[in-house]
Amino acid sequence: MSLMVAPDNTPVWVNENRCKACDICVSVCPAGVLAMRPEAKSTLGAMIEIVALEDCIGCMECELTCPDFAIYVADKKEFKFAKLTDQAKARAKAIADNKYRVLGA
Amino acid sequence: MAFNYDKYLRLEKMPTLWCWGCGDGVILKAFIRAVDELGWSKDDVCVVSGIGCSGRFSSYVDFNTVHTTHGRTIAFATGIKLANPSKHVVCVAGDGDALAIGGNHTIHGCRRNIDINFILINNFIYGLTNSQTSPTTPQGMWTVSQQAGNIDPTFDACKLAIAAGASFVGRETVNDPRKLEKLFIKGFEHKGFSFLEALSNCHINLGRKNKMASAMDNLAWIDSITASKAKYEKMDEDEKLNIFPTGILYHNEKAAEYCDMYEEVKKVHQGKRKTITQNDFEKKI
Repeated sequence: MSLMVAPDNTPVWVNENRCKACDICVSVCPAGVLAMRPEAKSTLGAMIEIVALEDCIGCMECELTCPDFAIYVADKKEFKFAKLTDQAKARAKAIADNKYRVLGA
Repeated sequence: MAFNYDKYLRLEKMPTLWCWGCGDGVILKAFIRAVDELGWSKDDVCVVSGIGCSGRFSSYVDFNTVHTTHGRTIAFATGIKLANPSKHVVCVAGDGDALAIGGNHTIHGCRRNIDINFILINNFIYGLTNSQTSPTTPQGMWTVSQQAGNIDPTFDACKLAIAAGASFVGRETVNDPRKLEKLFIKGFEHKGFSFLEALSNCHINLGRKNKMASAMDNLAWIDSITASKAKYEKMDEDEKLNIFPTGILYHNEKAAEYCDMYEEVKKVHQGKRKTITQNDFEKKI
């Protein structure tokens, strides 16, 4: 079962039971909110993780491009999203350069 | 609260059997959002799919669904539509399903201009059966059946549909799911045959042997071979050769729809009108 209602005022949340670790959501996130953590139980050895929840700008790119119904973004009317900062952009680039894996892992 | 896809899904079938990063899932989501936007009741929609990875499409959605034989989606859908003209029929087929084994059904569905919404998922390869050459595989790519490099020329499916007589033809890619959703909405609203081509990625069976092994690489390649219709028209002939235009490529609202014409045939048999003659049509030949 998936989680349709945002858990406690959250901008973005994931359903790990459906994620296949294709990296697409991480590659499209402009704010470096998402990254892949190592996960032994997953087929591809990775699992999506939200690393910077407070920086989500609500662009919806991750939800739209996720092929597996695994990621959800809150409604713009119900949640006030952050603005895109240079620090967030730099983290997004660092994560992409790190093959979409969690930094420092 | 986010968009509730689960309302339209068969949750016991989740997660999908498609590979990680498969474009089919993005197209499925765009399709669900389009149906939700149009406010169609689940009972009024019939999804017909054929064989191939795209054939799984009908298994995951909680509408009336038919998973038919290879390439025969339009044949089944024509029967469903003629029997239920007020319902919405959506066909989903892959490039092999629609253009190879079902090529004949596709062109004659377009010719009749029956009110079917036809989603062609073009991933440039036979994905389910592991990388054989399909009618849209680009020349020079490695496939299992042509390991020295594919020499078969390819179809431009949208041009084919326009030439065959479809009254709504559009193309979008999985790179831009919002545009795909809008194309679906416009196509679904159109009365007549809507031919909606969605370019999709198959990084597993096309990409791995053709230097784009990740979904992102394959999506970047799709991005590099497409351009919006406005940009495409400004290009010179040499550039156009390797680019697919996206957007609504053809839209004719005046073309007669097949179910309407079939109503006239019914009237003839009910004795309500004389037989149909050439004078009933503008086009005589």
